[in-house]
Amino acid sequence: MHRDSGLHPGAWITWATCAGLVTFTTTNPFYLALIVAVSFFVYAAQRIPGPTARSFRLFAIAGLVTVAVRTSLVFLGTVDAGNVAFAALEGARLATLLIIFGTFNAVTDPFGVVRLAPRRFHEPALAAALALSIAPRTVAMVGRVREAQTLRGIPTSWRTLPALAVPVLETGMEEALTLAESMDARGHGRGRRSRYRPSRWTPAAVAVSASAFASAAVSLAAAWQQGRDLHPATSPLTWPQVRPAMLAVIGILALPGVVRSPREDP
Amino acid sequence: MKARRLRLLVVGLALTFPAFGPAVAGTGVSCAAVGGAPHAALVIDNGSRTSTYCVALDDSSVSGLHLIQLAGRQYGLQYGLGFGGQAVCQLDGTGPSGGDCFADYPDYWGYWHGDGDGNWSWAGSGAASASIGEGDMEGWVWGPGDSGTTHASPPALAFGDVCEPEPEPSPSPAPSPSPSLDPAPAGGGTTGSGSGGSDASPGADANASGAASPAHASASARANAHATRTPSAEPTPSLAQTIVRASPVGALAAGASPGSGGPPAGALLALIAVAALGAAGWLTMRRRRALASR
Repeated sequence: MHRDSGLHPGAWITWATCAGLVTFTTTNPFYLALIVAVSFFVYAAQRIPGPTARSFRLFAIAGLVTVAVRTSLVFLGTVDAGNVAFAALEGARLATLLIIFGTFNAVTDPFGVVRLAPRRFHEPALAAALALSIAPRTVAMVGRVREAQTLRGIPTSWRTLPALAVPVLETGMEEALTLAESMDARGHGRGRRSRYRPSRWTPAAVAVSASAFASAAVSLAAAWQQGRDLHPATSPLTWPQVRPAMLAVIGILALPGVVRSPREDP
Repeated sequence: MKARRLRLLVVGLALTFPAFGPAVAGTGVSCAAVGGAPHAALVIDNGSRTSTYCVALDDSSVSGLHLIQLAGRQYGLQYGLGFGGQAVCQLDGTGPSGGDCFADYPDYWGYWHGDGDGNWSWAGSGAASASIGEGDMEGWVWGPGDSGTTHASPPALAFGDVCEPEPEPSPSPAPSPSPSLDPAPAGGGTTGSGSGGSDASPGADANASGAASPAHASASARANAHATRTPSAEPTPSLAQTIVRASPVGALAAGASPGSGGPPAGALLALIAVAALGAAGWLTMRRRRALASR
């Protein structure tokens, strides 16, 4: 069950939080596109092989749906180019956040995260870990149920969706309970937890955390000073301005994709 | 195969974002005020000067925001709406140029309704829901103050002062209003390069000096027009303020609406970075897959 995770889970939490903060400060499409590209790059370099790696694609699709839904909401009100662009950019920001979360899910083990929590916060941390892992576990489950259905000759189509959903939800519930019980039984957070192969704060993990932190700090400072390029005006619609310095600040977030992954060590 | 679809997804996502940019380029196809159509008066006080616009309405009743858009088309009024196009951020070169209309708070655009005889009342609701018809007056004043008693009010102008029958204005082509609308690519800190105010003023100067009305002083509007981000003090009503009457811009200038400029240079840099990262990610993934299958 133990996965040989690359960077320390704490570094990944810092990275995802900071990337989310950077995303939160802007609706500039060029900046958002770069954040998406950075996420993809990090995902490609650091993903953990296995079913959870799919969560990036899952969240990318969810992001596209978000943009579509957010944009289509405009059609309930006044429709003009400015309004549509504004809604689409808001949706794109949400989609970027989702993609960052998908990357986080694909590159780290959520249960590695729960081990980091101090003992007294064990219960909330366990709940958070279960919540964090629900997407990758559901993805894995859908794959298994579909495989079983294919073996039984049930085709995959819209009509068989209920037949797919029910076992997935049921098994998901059961598995969450089992997982919680087993983690409890093994003494997670009770002071008896094992320290078998603990993740270490390697220099790479420290560098990733520090750079992500710097990137978020600069972005927040720019937002504080009302950087005009962060939220392009949409009415009248103009081309968003792009500051090369801001591109560099976002580019810093790609560092975890560059550091040598310990997984590749022989 | 999976990775290929993924790459398409990322590239597609990156490509769709900037596609919204040029969509608006063709909207400025409107002509100046035509006799017979309903008119409303728009008075804009940016703290250092007041500009008046006699706006021809394209409907019997329009919203306060649409009135500003119409003034933009007919007179080259530089404006910016924010919060999803529901609020007024920037008028006449003054105010935040981004989407956050309260970025310069406590200074913001106060909204007033006029009774047509020089009296103004603080607007209780937003300009998006106001309904403006023939003979209505609208006032916008830049400054601090959260209510009608603390915010500066527009100068006492009657409807006739703005929309009087006047000698046919010579169609003075306003000199190139739009190129200055794009802020400098690396600027970031300046609003619309500060040149917005000068859009309306050259034509306005010429027209105001030609008009016979006593209300239209044609003083140094051009000099004052550069009041971009100066923290405007409470405009003292006792001081004779410059009132500029805007003149309609020619069809040529009106056609060049904001947004028709191409993408900024930085955008190319951003797209190159996106493409590079995408390619690098794709290569990494292929290499890892090859390593795993070995």
